[in-house]
Formats: sequence, structure tokens, C-alpha cells
Amino acid sequence: MKKTMTLNLTDGEMQALQELCDKKDLSKTAVLRQALRLYQLVDVRLEQGGKLFFEDEAKKEKAELMVL
Amino acid sequence: MTSYPVFLTDRRSGKTVGAELIEGIGESQLRSVETEWKPVINARLRQLVAQGSPLSDWPENWHWDWRKKLERIRGLLAFRSLALVCENQVQGLMLLAMAGHSCRIPEQAKKDLIYVDYLETAPWNRKTIVPQPRFGGVGTVMIRAAIEVSHEQDFRGRIGLHSLPAAEEFYDKVCGMTDLGRDESYQGLRYFEMTAAQAAAFSQ
Repeated sequence: MKKTMTLNLTDGEMQALQELCDKKDLSKTAVLRQALRLYQLVDVRLEQGGKLFFEDEAKKEKAELMVL
Repeated sequence: MTSYPVFLTDRRSGKTVGAELIEGIGESQLRSVETEWKPVINARLRQLVAQGSPLSDWPENWHWDWRKKLERIRGLLAFRSLALVCENQVQGLMLLAMAGHSCRIPEQAKKDLIYVDYLETAPWNRKTIVPQPRFGGVGTVMIRAAIEVSHEQDFRGRIGLHSLPAAEEFYDKVCGMTDLGRDESYQGLRYFEMTAAQAAAFSQ
């Protein structure tokens, strides 16, 4: 079952959301669903002791990302 | 538990039979895999060992452990699982990744897609395991379901997957997906992707 909620966003947040919608060809709801899925996934993996990295293959650089 | 009516082909009679696509692989399906699938796979492996067949002749995913796969993603919104049941037996299982995968085909690059993480047909439906497969159409039903999930999520039918060698022809010829070649970052498996147009053509 789906539930409806009202979301209060600042102009900047709304602009970022719209940019993602345009770039990804998704509705606002779809972008927020994706964000929630990824946020939960990262949170669970970090709690399990995992680490999140961004890797620049060209520069051979790896930066650990602390999300939460 | 949500389920949807689907159809398979009984390869013995050639007739279409009703089946059920179930949202979420549960304990009963896992037990079915462990008690009904495993003995068939193990019997085939024993046969291959007795024949002295090389490892390359073994069913490619003989070592898959669905219980472990599902434990790893339990409660995560980023994954969805489906089971296909016919005549009270599990005929196929599929695990979909809903987030974290982007398109690679230039015309849809970086857009989200549904990634088919794992897809397996019951061993008695596979000609590499049994001489006369029981049901046909499991892969087709599952790929159609993945496309449906993609539409549900606003992804317009876009899906992607890495194929085991034995299934490459199915994804290429039957599904009409684009073959983007071997992916050395993923065990050298070939990566296939479906565009919105290919999804529409396949689902017709």
C-alpha cells in the first residue's frame, strides 16, 4: 500500500531535486525513492562494518566517504 | 504476499499452463530450492564427475546459494525478489537490484535501470541438467517481470545484467538486449542492456 506525504524543501533542495529529475529522466517521487534505497543500503552496510569509497581510476586515488 | 498470474509452456505436452509469479522469495520457496532443486543438481554433478567431465561442462551456477543471497539483502529497499511457481513447485527465482546501477548504452547513459542480479530456472527446466526439460518460458516471464518493475519505478523498461555464458544467446536473440561485451570488472561476463524501445518490443 502506498501512502502520501507532504515534503517541505528549500529552493536549493528543490532545484537539486529538479536537476536530478531532468538528468535521470525520473519523476520527483522516483528520485526520492532511489535516494532512500541508497541511503538505507549505505547505512546498513556501514553498520555492518563496511566502508564506502570513491575511486578515481585515472589518478589511482581512493577516498573514503563518511556518510553518516 | 502479492502474486500475479503468468503462463509457462509444458514442454512434454506443448500446452500453455498457468503459473504464479510471487513477489518476495519466502521460506517455503527457499526450502523448495534446497529440497527439490539441489538433489537434481547434485545428481547431475555426480554424473558429470563419474564421466570425468571438465569443470567447464558443469552447470555454471551450481554453487549458488539463494538462502545466503537473500540473507545478505534482507530488509533492504534496494533489492526485490520474485519466485515463479507452477504445479506447486518453484520453477524460477530472480533477484533485482533497484538502485545503484546506471545505463551504459550511450543513448541512455547514466540513467537508472533495474539490474537483474540473479536469475535461475529450476534444474528440471534446463537442458544442460535434464534430457527433457519440463517447463519452458521461465526466463521470458522473469525478464518481462523485470521490465514491469522498471516501468513501475519510472525507468521506462530499462534493465541490465551480466550473463553467464550459457544464457548469452537468450538475452541476445530472445530478449533482443544490446550486448556491450565482456566486463573485465565483473568476472569477464558479458554485459547486456535493454533500452526502453527494446523493452517495448520484447513485451509486445
